[in-house]
Order: sequence, then structure tokens, then C-alpha cells
Amino acid sequence: MNIQDNYLKNKKNIFFSDNKDIQTHRDKLINIFENDRFDKKNNESLKNINLKNFIDFKYKYLIPEETSVINNNQENSYSIVSVNGQCSSFKDDKIEITKILDEDYNDFSKNDTIENNDHFVNLNSLFLNSGFKIVIKKNNNIKIKISNIITDDNLTIFQKNNYICEEGSSLNLIEEYENKNNSTSNILNVIKLEKNSQLNHFLIQDNSPNHNLIITTHSSCKKDSTYTQKVYNFSEGYVRNFHYSELIEVNSEADLQGIFFLKDNNTSNNKTFVKHLAEDCKSNQVYKGILNDRSKATYFSNTHVDQVAQKTEGYQLSKGILLSENASYFSKPELKIYADDVKCSHGSTIGPIDENAIFYLRSRGMSKIAATKILISSFINEELSSIDNEQMSEIIQKKLVRYLSKVK
Amino acid sequence: MFLEIKDLSVKIENKNILKSLNLNINKGEVHAIMGPNGSGKSTLANVLAGKEDYEILNGKINFKDNDLFDLNIEERAQEGMFLAFQYPVEIPGVNITPFLHSAINSKRKRMNEEEIDNLSFAKLLKSKASDLGINIDMLKRSVNTGFSGGEKKRYEILQMSILNPDLAILDETDSGLDIDALKIVTDGVNKLKTKDNSFLIITHYQKLLDYIKPDYVHVMVNGSIVKSGGSEIAAEIEKDGFQKFQ
Repeated sequence: MNIQDNYLKNKKNIFFSDNKDIQTHRDKLINIFENDRFDKKNNESLKNINLKNFIDFKYKYLIPEETSVINNNQENSYSIVSVNGQCSSFKDDKIEITKILDEDYNDFSKNDTIENNDHFVNLNSLFLNSGFKIVIKKNNNIKIKISNIITDDNLTIFQKNNYICEEGSSLNLIEEYENKNNSTSNILNVIKLEKNSQLNHFLIQDNSPNHNLIITTHSSCKKDSTYTQKVYNFSEGYVRNFHYSELIEVNSEADLQGIFFLKDNNTSNNKTFVKHLAEDCKSNQVYKGILNDRSKATYFSNTHVDQVAQKTEGYQLSKGILLSENASYFSKPELKIYADDVKCSHGSTIGPIDENAIFYLRSRGMSKIAATKILISSFINEELSSIDNEQMSEIIQKKLVRYLSKVK
Repeated sequence: MFLEIKDLSVKIENKNILKSLNLNINKGEVHAIMGPNGSGKSTLANVLAGKEDYEILNGKINFKDNDLFDLNIEERAQEGMFLAFQYPVEIPGVNITPFLHSAINSKRKRMNEEEIDNLSFAKLLKSKASDLGINIDMLKRSVNTGFSGGEKKRYEILQMSILNPDLAILDETDSGLDIDALKIVTDGVNKLKTKDNSFLIITHYQKLLDYIKPDYVHVMVNGSIVKSGGSEIAAEIEKDGFQKFQ
């Protein structure tokens, strides 16, 4: 079934389908799909995937029977279970959770940071069937943990979440994606950080082999705000992590980091993109990958420095360990600098595990497998030891041990 | 015989490096191998430790009644062989203390000895480090990472003293050391020397042999041992160089 027929058939289940402006935008998107020649060579969103599987799909969505659970167990700490991308409304003096509204859709569709030719974001806009909006109120410091549950096989979740951190607020957000069913989640997070706010965003991804997860984030930072994102991808199914950040006012920061652990025939596509649009802003983009068997990964990073963004500091780094001759990792860092007073760098190193280091460790009595494991752990040691949340650290360590147990 | 190398020929990337090399080392002996650059000294050390880049063309090596070629790299270490590297490898993110603790326990396990617990190991490490003038703070760092040349060599000797090998191969341990560091390192080696262990010391210069007295000195040229004798050979080399042996 083509995109248009698929959309028309399921229109009644799709959010905002009675909004004329949104419908006009969606008609444009359908037109893109109808006319695009899907140029894999020049479109990063198409690398290493069979787009046909994602475009020619059977739409299935179930409105959850059980409403999601929001617990406010400890002071300033919230635990949310999002079911099929939905979350019930909640309000207190610190946070407010609601469904997303038409205006949230429009807000995103006008955004030009995410390229128009990102077909997954376009699919998300077209088939949107879930999502929520969370507002952290002024000057509050809170923690939120969101567990994303999918109730049935073969569901197609198109979810859009909006996060707004009001002035002076601080949010520690942990998102867990651990699904064992054959579904596809296409999630778009739109994050706004107001003046002097802070968001530490952790994403733990650990889905089964037949679950596809496509996450796109767009964050924008106002004066003195900081967005930090750490992605840990242990999934055995396909994962796409594309994260965009805009530093729109002075002295704001974006730190986008990720680690992925791949094996078997799995694929992961990753991208980070930071736009410096104001003076005195800092950004950091660091992705590390460990690839075994016949797994494949891509990582595209990009720092764009606008001509007004003097005194920018922007760093990019990509590192990969290939544990098998059949694994592959393609990395492409880019810098586009239009200001003259900046400090920017990029680097990329990918290769097999250091044989000299293996020999050294073995010459002290350590077995080859133990030496390999210790070198993998040391490769990501800096990132793991910087996790200051004990619970998070434990979760990641357990998953790492599980991954390492399969390394032969 | 403790270590017996018989008619050993080795090549790497189509280049013959060791050519029918013979060497015997008994328990409690200190042997020194001297030779010019490119004579195959480090290749011999690496082949003994088990580095897999080399192709063994011919020959046999027996170590403590084992056919050495039947043992992989770690098994050789666990059997009591130790190579102090000429260029110790930096391994960021691998902390020295747990690494050494795991190394000593892998050896004990093979020898059917009880594993050493954290507390006892910490005490042992502290005392050995202090003997070698190694600052305790250094033990909190990653293996060889950010160490100066002298620190790396000192740290190799610390590992050796912890693992207490039966045969220690010192591959140009004196290179890059100033005179004070050389004294500390050689003192460490001399403290370890007993009637039950042996040393194979590879060096270019006689200086090292002023501090560690060898029982035998061998001259290695073009992949073979061309002369063997006592300390007088080292003095001869110091005076006339390697030219006359080539």
C-alpha cells in the first residue's frame, strides 16, 4: 500500500487529522514520498536500511486500555509508565503533563533544523498517533523516569513528546526503551530549555531483535541553559538515534553523547547536529561504538557555527572498535564554520582492538577473552565512570556484562 | 635444563630474523644478550613470550619441561615467564591495581595456589612499590598511561616483583633511564634474584651489566649467537663495539 492510501485508510486514528493547516502540511509530506527517488547516497537517513520496510508498512495502533501510571514516590521524583506512547495527564506545583496539541505539531513543522528530507521524521508527522507534553515549572529541580511500554505485536507507534524546562528549572530525565515485541516506535522529542535551565537526558535502549526504534530529538537552548544527552544502545533490533541541538542564546551548551553495542546482523544509524546561533556557546558530540559479528553502524556529526556565534567551542569525536572482520562502522564528522573566533575540532578513529595491548595483557597471564573484555570496558570507561546516578550506573553495568558475555 | 632453545629459526613478513639460534639457561643463572640494532634480540624476547606475529621456521624451545610452543601467551606467563617490555603499552582506562591483582591470581590459579585477597594484595603492592620508589598515587592510574619513559620501566619491574617469575626477560630495560632510575630498577632486579629463578637480559650497553652481574654474556649478530662467555665479553664490546663480531 502506498503512503497516501495508508494515510487515508487510517486517518481517523491519526492525531489532528481534522486540522486544515496540519492537513496541508501532511499533503506536502505525502507529495515528498510520492516523488522522492530516495537517493541513498546523499541522504543520511537512508544509509544501511531498507526504507521499503518502513514506508510500505501495515499501520496498527491500539489505544491503551490501561492508562499510564504516574507516581510521585519521592519528593521531586516522578516515575511514568508510558503505554503505546500515551501518558495520562497530571499536574502539581512542579510539573504538568498533558496530551500534545495541534499547536505543538505546528511548532515542530516550522522548524528547519531537521532536514526536510528526513523520511522518518516525515512519517512521524504524517502518522502521529501518540505523545505527551511535559512542562517543568520555573525554578524546580526534579527527576523523571519514563518506562516506555508497548502492549502488542506489530504496533506502529508514531509519537511526539514535548518537554519544556521553564526558567531556572533542572530536569534529570531517564527514558527506558526495553520492548520484546515486534513493533516499530518512531519517536520525536522536541525539547525547549528556557533561560538558565538544565536537562540531563539519559536514554537506555535495549529492545529485542524484531523491534525497530527510531528516535529523533530536537533541543533548543536559551541563555545560560545546558542540554546533556547520553544514549546507551544495547538493542538487538534496529535503532536510529538522530539528535539535533540549537544553541539559540548566549552561553548555552549542548553535550550529545552515545555508546552503542552491536552484534549479530544488527544495524544502528546515528547522527548528531549542533547549530551554534549565538556567542559564547559550547558543544560536544561524542559517539563510541563496539561492533561484533556482521553488525553495521553509521555516525554523522555536524557542528554548524553561524557568523554571529563568535567564541564558540565545538568538539566532535567518534571512536569505534570492530570485534569482527565482518563488522563495519562508517563515521563522517563535519564542521561548517562561518565565524572567525572559534575553537572547533573533530576526530574519528575506528579499528580492531589493539593487538599490542592484548599481547601485553596476555603476557601478564590474562586470557585472550579476558583481555578483550577488559579493553572493551576500558574503551568506554570514561563515559561509564562519569555517570553520577548510581541506579543508572548499575543498569548500564549489567547490560555491559550481558553484552560482553557474548563476546568470544 | 630450565630453558633450552635449539636451532631456532624465525621469520616475519618474509624476512628471516633468527637463524639457527641456540641458548641454554639453567635455574639461578643470569644471562645477558648483547648485540647491535636489528640483530634479532627483541624478536627472541617476543618469541619467548609468545607474540603471534612471527613464523617459527625451525627449532624447539623447552621451558621447565614444557614444549614452549604448546603453551599460548598467557599459559607461558602463568608458568612463570615474564617479559619486561622495551616499549610498555599504554592502556587507558585499565587501572593498574585490579589489573595486577587479576594477573597474580591467574598465575596462582594455574599453580593450584589459593588466590590472594584484596587486602593482602594491596599490602603486597604497596610494599613492592615503596621498594622501587614508586609513588602510591601512581597505582591509581591506568596502565602506563601518561607515564614518563623511566616510570614505565620502573612499573615493569614492579609487575615483575609482584608476579615473581621463574624466568624474567628484560628487553632493553635500561633504554631511556637516567642513572638514578637505572640504579633503582637494577636494585629491584637484584632483590628478586634467587637460586631458583633466572634472568635473560637484553641490552646494547655494558652499563646495565655494571649493576646486574651476569653469569654469561652472549653476542648476537644477524640472528645468531656468535660468541658466549663471561663478563669480559661485555667489556670487550664496550671497548671495541660489535664490529669485530660481524
